[in-house]
Amino acid sequence: MHADLLPVALANYVALSSVIFFIGVAGVVLRRNPLIMLMSIELMWNAANLLFLAFARAWLNNAGHIFAFLVITVAAAEAAIGLAIVVIVFRSRANVDVDEIALMKG
Amino acid sequence: MGVAGSYPLLFAIWLVPLAGAIVNWAFGPQLKRAAGIVGCVAIGLPFVATLAAWGIATQSSGAAVGANQHLLSWMPGFDFGLLLDPLSLIWALIITGVGFLIHVYSVGYMWPDTAIARFFAYMNFFVFAMLTLVLSDNFVGLLVGWGLVGLASYFLIGFWFFKPTAVAAARKAFVINVVGDVAIMFAIFMIFAKVGSTSFVTVFAHVPALGNWLFLVCLFLFIGAAAKSAQIPLHTWLPDAMEGPTPVSALIHAATMVTAGVYLVARCWPLWNASHDAQVLVGTIGGLTALGGALLGVAQWDIKRILAYSTMSQIGYMIMGVGVTAYQAGVAHFFTHAFFKACLFLGAGIVIHELADEQDIRRMGGMRLRAPVAFFAMFAAVLAISGFPGFAGFFSKDAVVFGALEHGFPWLYVLGIVTAGITAYYMFRLFFVTFFGTYRGDLDPAQVGVTNPVEPAAHEPAHGEAHAPAWLMAAPVAILGVFSVIAGYVMIGSNSPWNRLFTQTFPSQNLAVPALSEGWTTAILFIVMAAGIAIAYVRYATPAALADAPARLRAESQRMPAVLVRLFYFDDVIDWLFVRPSQALGRFFGSIFDPDVIDGAVRGVVRVNTELGEVVRGMQTGLLRSYALVIVFGAALFAVYYALQGVAH
Repeated sequence: MHADLLPVALANYVALSSVIFFIGVAGVVLRRNPLIMLMSIELMWNAANLLFLAFARAWLNNAGHIFAFLVITVAAAEAAIGLAIVVIVFRSRANVDVDEIALMKG
Repeated sequence: MGVAGSYPLLFAIWLVPLAGAIVNWAFGPQLKRAAGIVGCVAIGLPFVATLAAWGIATQSSGAAVGANQHLLSWMPGFDFGLLLDPLSLIWALIITGVGFLIHVYSVGYMWPDTAIARFFAYMNFFVFAMLTLVLSDNFVGLLVGWGLVGLASYFLIGFWFFKPTAVAAARKAFVINVVGDVAIMFAIFMIFAKVGSTSFVTVFAHVPALGNWLFLVCLFLFIGAAAKSAQIPLHTWLPDAMEGPTPVSALIHAATMVTAGVYLVARCWPLWNASHDAQVLVGTIGGLTALGGALLGVAQWDIKRILAYSTMSQIGYMIMGVGVTAYQAGVAHFFTHAFFKACLFLGAGIVIHELADEQDIRRMGGMRLRAPVAFFAMFAAVLAISGFPGFAGFFSKDAVVFGALEHGFPWLYVLGIVTAGITAYYMFRLFFVTFFGTYRGDLDPAQVGVTNPVEPAAHEPAHGEAHAPAWLMAAPVAILGVFSVIAGYVMIGSNSPWNRLFTQTFPSQNLAVPALSEGWTTAILFIVMAAGIAIAYVRYATPAALADAPARLRAESQRMPAVLVRLFYFDDVIDWLFVRPSQALGRFFGSIFDPDVIDGAVRGVVRVNTELGEVVRGMQTGLLRSYALVIVFGAALFAVYYALQGVAH
């Protein structure tokens, strides 16, 4: 551990990341607007990214940086697909309340 | 026995009919009636080549004639090749020669039929299959041909597939023939197990190696022969096979295919020479079939069925001949029979055509004026089949009957003589009732004893169709009629072409001189035959009988013994022994085993899965947020798990 490389203690990064992540979780579980839900998912991605970078820095291991880029790529793809789905759903029905869209009910 | 040498045209003999079949199959719609020409040429060329081989073979006296050409090797013991020796030469000659005449006749007979290309494709295919059978130099090739002729026969019996009776007859013939195929397969297995080869030459050189399986091998080979050659008790398919077009009956179910059993026994003569039990078995079955067929022929009214039973009876003679090891006589009877029986069938075909598909002889009569060519040709053929001196059948039938005595089977000798008398009777019955007197087709069917008249609807000529030139059908019948007279002359004298051909094939045996000489046999046969003809004449052809024909025929129909009308109950016995148990088994599987056991198992699996699904379907709410919640809880569980792990450390 190279604590001197981190101007702020590692625990603070973990705590911030956890807060952001749970905000994202709460957004996905509680909100019914799909746009808000997508944004919440982005929050969770970025919480994870923050952890990757913090630990990479703390342990001088570049794998974390690489994974951060991977996460950004996947997040971009996910956002593109998610937005496309939202647009299509919005075209076919007036409102986009996810609770109204329960076609896959068993 | 071992034949070396080669005959350059052998492959052509074998393959040209196949080429004809393929052309007719592939280009049938384009060829239309030209299909008939293709079909005839594809048989005519091999016939010329075979005739040339016959010419060469009969010129050389004594020396081994023929050709044995290698085709391919499969594995040790399985070498395929073509063999042209005197025995296969005779068969190839009849197959292509009589086959050619019947093909020409078919062009006329099938003229109105729209499926003429299909017909000739099947006919050519049959000839190819039959040549495969007789030209093979090993048992496996023979079995291949054996199966293929059965298939061709199936196609052609069921040629008019819109007739349910034809389809049923085709199926029956096929099933019974397959019984024979399987039996031959078992025989081949046994031969291969003991000898290690399937080639004729090798097997026949090692007959002692078969040991005590020899009789079993003969038995299984003969089951195959009996199925193909309509020997009791596997004969029931042959009369039904008459549902096919008449040229088919003439070619396949009279002249060639049904004699394959005779060929098989004659080909395997070293086996039969070595097994006296097999001789007794085959000779007896042959003799009984000869008698049974003749008796059944007496009770039939359908012209083709009478001929079918006479075929069965005559093949019984041949089988008897080869069974008692009088091979040359049996083969000779095959040779002459092919001509006169084909002539009879084709002549009957002319009559049937003339009367728009009427086949019941009670509704014929006076046909000598309306079908004179058929009348004269069939007269010669009827005399030949009865064994009238000087006609073809005389030479061969005498030889068969006398051969039975010569080889020590006096009871078969008696059977042969009795059958000869019955044969003369029922053939002249057919001849007189069909050709003499006046036409009875205008009368009410019931007046001549026909209780269930069949509406002929097989193939009405399409409107506006021109009829085929008459010579197409008349010429083959006339030629066959001539051969019914002269075919036996190749056998006269010990230095005849026939004897020269066969001295090498079947070595002569030293036999005790029987009590009755051949001259006496001829005399007895003549008397019996004359008696048969006389009875037929008195019953059907005296002026009084002719004047009173409808009433007499009606009375005869009503008095016919049930045992003959029901064909000795063979069909009923087979029905009870095999058909009904099979149907019961089928019903059991169809209505109990399949729905309850097989389907039951499948349905059980389905029900279990359905109910499982009912249980878990509640979890699928379709609500995105509830899924997200589940994931969150899952992730939380992981977190808790790892947290506890961390505490434990």
